[in-house]
Order: sequence, then C-alpha cells, then structure tokens
Amino acid sequence: MKIIKLMAVFTALMLILVACTSDADTTTTAAADAGSDTTAAPVEEDTGSLLDEVIARGELKCGTRDALTGFAVLTADGEHVGFDSDFCRVIAAAVLGDADAVDHVDLETADRFTALQSGQVDVLSRNTTWTASRDGSEGATFLTVTYYDGQGMMASADSGYASINDMNGAIVCVAKGTTTEGNAATVSERLGLGWEVRPFDDNALIQEAFDAGQCDGWSADSSALTGIRADQPAGPDSVVILPEVFSKEPLAPLVLDGDSDWAQAVDWAILATITAEEWGITSANVDTFLTSDDTNIVKFLGGEFEDGDGNVAVFDPGLGLPADFAYQVIKQVGNYGEIFDRHLTPLGLERGVNALWVDGGLMYSPPYR
Amino acid sequence: MAASPSPPKLTSSMTTPTPEQRVPFWRNVSFLKWLFQLVVFAIVAAVAIWLYNNFRNNTAESGIPTNFNFLTNPASFDIPGADFAPTERFQNAFVIGVLNTIRVSIVGIILATILGILIGIGRLSKNWVVRKISTVYVEIIRNLPLLVIMTFTFLGVVLQLLPRIENSWTPLDLLVISNRGIGVPWYQDTSGLALFLVLLVGLIGWWLIARWRHRVSDRTGQPSHGGLIGGAFFLLVLVVGWLLLGASFTTPVVDGRQIAGGIRVDPSFFAVLIALVIYTASHIAEIVRGSIQAVPAGQGEAASALALSGFQRLWNVVLPQAMRIAIPPLGNQYLNLIKNSSLGAGFAYFELTNVTQVTVGNGSPAVPAFFLALVFYIALSLITSAFVNLANRRFKLVER
Repeated sequence: MKIIKLMAVFTALMLILVACTSDADTTTTAAADAGSDTTAAPVEEDTGSLLDEVIARGELKCGTRDALTGFAVLTADGEHVGFDSDFCRVIAAAVLGDADAVDHVDLETADRFTALQSGQVDVLSRNTTWTASRDGSEGATFLTVTYYDGQGMMASADSGYASINDMNGAIVCVAKGTTTEGNAATVSERLGLGWEVRPFDDNALIQEAFDAGQCDGWSADSSALTGIRADQPAGPDSVVILPEVFSKEPLAPLVLDGDSDWAQAVDWAILATITAEEWGITSANVDTFLTSDDTNIVKFLGGEFEDGDGNVAVFDPGLGLPADFAYQVIKQVGNYGEIFDRHLTPLGLERGVNALWVDGGLMYSPPYR
Repeated sequence: MAASPSPPKLTSSMTTPTPEQRVPFWRNVSFLKWLFQLVVFAIVAAVAIWLYNNFRNNTAESGIPTNFNFLTNPASFDIPGADFAPTERFQNAFVIGVLNTIRVSIVGIILATILGILIGIGRLSKNWVVRKISTVYVEIIRNLPLLVIMTFTFLGVVLQLLPRIENSWTPLDLLVISNRGIGVPWYQDTSGLALFLVLLVGLIGWWLIARWRHRVSDRTGQPSHGGLIGGAFFLLVLVVGWLLLGASFTTPVVDGRQIAGGIRVDPSFFAVLIALVIYTASHIAEIVRGSIQAVPAGQGEAASALALSGFQRLWNVVLPQAMRIAIPPLGNQYLNLIKNSSLGAGFAYFELTNVTQVTVGNGSPAVPAFFLALVFYIALSLITSAFVNLANRRFKLVER
C-alpha cells in the first residue's frame, strides 16, 4: 500500500513537471504548428502576423471612442463619424479594399491599452499621445502621427481667468489614465500653482462637475477642447480656452509590439493619405491620375506602367498590401487634407503645424518607391 | 448457570488480509481514492500552469513587463487631498490608496452600524410613524443597486445640492459647506502620530475605567455608569492632549476658490461615505430586526415583569442577546462595505481601485498592478473577518 501511494505521488509529480518545463519556445511553436495544420494554407500564412489574420477575417477591429466631437462620435444611426474614425476606414480600405469593413470598438480611456494588449482590437485610432513609457511598458508601437496637438485648459467665461498663471489653487478636472493627468500635475508643480487634479472616467462626469462649479478648469488636448467647447450646453461662449499650450501631444494610431508586418502595413496606409495630398490627388480626381505622365504617381496608385525593359508591371514593395491600396484609400476616404477639412475645420481648428511640409507644417511622407 | 461462551480471540490473520486475500490494486478502494485525488490535483495544477505560461508567452511577445519593478517609478499623477507629489513612487500611491480605503471603511462601518441598529429597532417600534418611516427606508434602499445610490449622492447631493464655493454655507461660522469640500475646524498642523497616540491613550483609559466600574458594580450593586465615566475620561484626555500639543485651533474660511484653514472633507469621500452608509445600514437594519425577533419573547416579558423600563429592557436584556445572533451576518455586511468602497473609483475618490486604475493608465503593466490590489483587498477582508470571528467566539452562546 505504501509503495502504491508513493508511485501515485511520483506519477502526479511527473505530470506537473512536464507541464512546468514547457517553456516559452515550445509552447508557442506548438500553438503555431496547430494553427498551420488546421488551415493547410500556402506558405505566407505561417508568418503568424496580424495582417494575415485581418485579411482572413475580412474585417478590421478598430479601437475608438464614442463621444469626442470631431474625432469620433457615434451618431444616432450607429455610424462612427470623425477624424480618428476616418483613419480606421483608411486602414480597412488599404488592407481589405473596403473602407466600411470596420468594426469600431468603443473603449474607455483607462482600458484602451489593455484592449489592444489582449487582442480585442487590431489597431487603436483614439487620439492617443505617443510617449516613451507607452512605447516601452504598454507594449505599443506608435505609427505616423496624424495630429500634432498640445494640452490646453478650458475655464468658465465668468471665472475671470485670462491665463493658467491666474489659476492659483484651482481644481482641474481631467480624464483618468491620460497624459493630461501627469502634465497637469507637472505644470502645477513647475509654476507653483497648487492645483488639485481630479480624474474622472468619462467626459460626461467631467461635464457635470464642471457645470456644478466643482472644477475650475477642464484640461485636455486642445483639439478635444475645441470639440467640447462646441458642445457646451450653455453655448460655446460660456467657456473660454486659455491661450497657453503646455505640453506636446502628438496623436497617432498604434498597434501592439512584436508584429512589424502589421505595423508597417498600417503605417503605409496612413502615409498614403499624406503622399496623396502632396501630389494634389483627391477622392474626386484620383481616376484622372491613373493615367498620369508621372510614373511615380502611377506606381503609387497601383496602376500599370512600362518598366525599363518595356514590360508592363505593377509596383509591389512587398508590404503585404494589395498593389492598389493607395487608390482604394483615396477613392473611398480621401487624402489627409480632405479628412481634416471634413471633421476638424468645422470646429475652427486650423492646419497650423499639421499642414504639409511644403506649407511649413510637419506632415511629410517618405517616398513610395 | 452455564458460562457464556468466550468471544473468539482476534488473531492477526483476521485484521490484515493474507497475501492470497489481498485485493488487486485496481479494485482496492483506498488506493483508488488516493489515485483519483492525485489525478484531479494534477489536472488542476496543469491547467493553472498552462494558463500562467500562456500569460507569460503573450506578454513576452509584446514586450510587456510582468514584474513589480513599476512600483519604484515616479507616479506622475497627483492625489487630491493627500500630501503626494507626482515625483513620488507608485508604491507610495498604493499606500495612500489603501489608507483611503481603510478610512472610508472604518468610518462607514461605524456609522452604518449605528444607523442600522436605530432603523432596525425603529421597525419594531410601537410608534406608527417611526415604524412606517423605517419600513419605507429599508424597502426602498435595500432594493436599489449601490452604484445607482452612489451616482445619486455624487451628482445629486454633492454636485447639485451643495452650493458652489462662492455661495458656500457657513453655519455658525465654524463650518464651510460647498461642493468642493466641507471645511471642519481642526488642530493646527500636528503630526498624525501624536493625534493617534492621544486617541489611543483615551480609548484604553475608557476601557480600563469601564472594566473597573463594572467590577465595582458587581460587588456593590450600584449602577456602574462605566460608559459615562469612561467617556468623560476620554474627553479629558483629548482636551489635555490638545493643550499639551500646542492648543491651536483653526476654523475654515473661504479664500478665493479654496477653503483655507481647518481640515477639508473631500467631496468624493463624502459622497462615497454617505452612499455606503445608507446602503449598508438598510441591510444591517434587517439583520438587527431579525435577530431581535429571534430572541425568545419570554425574555422581554420577564424583563417587563421585573419592572424594567422599555429602554432598560432593550439595552440590558434584548439587545445583548440579539447582537450575539447578529454578529456573523453583520461581519458579512462589513466585508461587503469594504469591497463596495471600490465603487468610489468612478467618482474621483482615490481609494485602492482608483489608484490602481490610474497607475495602469499611466503606463504600468495591468496584471501585476491589479494582482497587488487583489492581495490588499484579500488582506483587509481577512483581517476584518478575523476580528468578527473573535467577537463571535467571545459572545456566542456556550451550550452545555
């Protein structure tokens, strides 16, 4: 009996040891093998990249939000309308050929990174600031900056504040889990203003606290504040956006670390909008550019051209995107200027630093060749 | 008389099976039981290890750290109402979060118990108005979710009902009540430790005096008045302590848009506390009512027969027996209150859950941070239930 008990204990320990010693490499290769066995797919499918997964799925899961005027608003018909929502469509048009094959997933500010890390969304297009700690500890890879912004402060018009230096000992309300929180605390320390920074889960609660007078100031990215100001229940003139911009907030879409195929594909989809604006290609005139004399434009749009030997070819840089992805993006969504004018110009935001580099701004795309 | 036959002697061959009689191991019940237990344990352990490995692989692929090194990074956020600079470490923020949870829990438990006992007794009152009010209170509040109550106390009571700082109420010129906080007169700038020691000395003195007075009362039969005399001593210690620590006193005043002087009760703390107290008191009221009704009616009747007044009957005969029955369910409600305090995260109160959410939102890995929060909550709950079990063991009925 004793021997049998000992044997049983030994067997159990062996089972546990076997489970323990399956370390990182063996487990992932086992999973990858299982995947490729069941699909019996051609060789490209074994890269395990999110690009292949999205193409196979036929739909892009884009992390966004539902109530920021100008950037992403969920309308009454269930459509997401805004600057960030349009970039979700840009990525879908490039990867899948259909700008409407997007599942916009609404995310709270505090959960957006965990949603990306867990695979709930493929890409985040949610006015997120590019910072070093997000690159490192949150496992994010930031792509081309779509909007260079800064943090501002909004106060009630009858508060008498003309600049943030007047706001001694004020209560400043921010959204939880954003760079706004940290920046407000840092500015308060630096200028010796003694602010009390109160974070809330969403803008609706901040609006309530602001209206009731619990918040002296509402701090967020200047672009977001412009949208919020337009929505104030007492009218846009009941609030004033103070002149100081006190941080750099480059807003960019992001994907998860460790998948450079997917990151590059999404990046070039976004860059296509800037390249198109540089050449003056819009959704209205893109068809006329297919037969342009400039071979670079034809290659960019995925058209056929004669290469040096007289053969007809189509340019494929090997990004894993269809050859005509840029054509689809511009035809179905538009170039960067069109997207900006559609959503942000009505709010009163000017191109400013977001203009093309030839106009003195920061929008510059690498050559597509 | 014939002698009864002697019982057969027990030989060893009757207790241990001989080798020919040994049951094969696949039919041996005790072996099979062992085997089954071990197989189940191995399966559970294997699943747990597979889950953990999965987590490690996924986070390794995306380069997300899974250790606790984030605790020593600077927090880069601010905690309202606490002496916390954004350059301090995350671990200090966690400590403040735990302290805030404990603060709201202790005050909440004390107030909820008092209110709950009063309403529970009120439901059994002979006064029709008192009875009806208590019943309506319990029936409404008990059937509302706590988040709804807390949203109401925050948006409705704190934000809308309490006035803006420019129009704040200043009753008796001692308090300042506004929706940014409630200013209460306080000592000037003494360290928490000194105040805590004074409080401790006062409480211990109260307890010792109460014990001494009870012994005197047992011996002589005079009323002990332990509570009164002990309470008086406690107040004396507080006053003497205040005088010794500098005899300073500040009243709050409205200074621009702030409250200067005194101590400020955070409006979110106030909203969370009120909601927790109201909600938990409705449950405690039902527990108290049930346990009073569980005391045999003969006890109350015997007390009346001894010419004890209504209050004396309640205080000396019925309530002690009722509270004995009520202690385990009360402990349950206290644990619920501690865990429900986490709802304060949605209303800008920096208790533990909120601190963890903000930490994760500011670039720390989610799983280790929330694991830490879980460990703290488990520790708090275990400590509370240990106290409740202690009280239960001391007061429970010892049956022969």
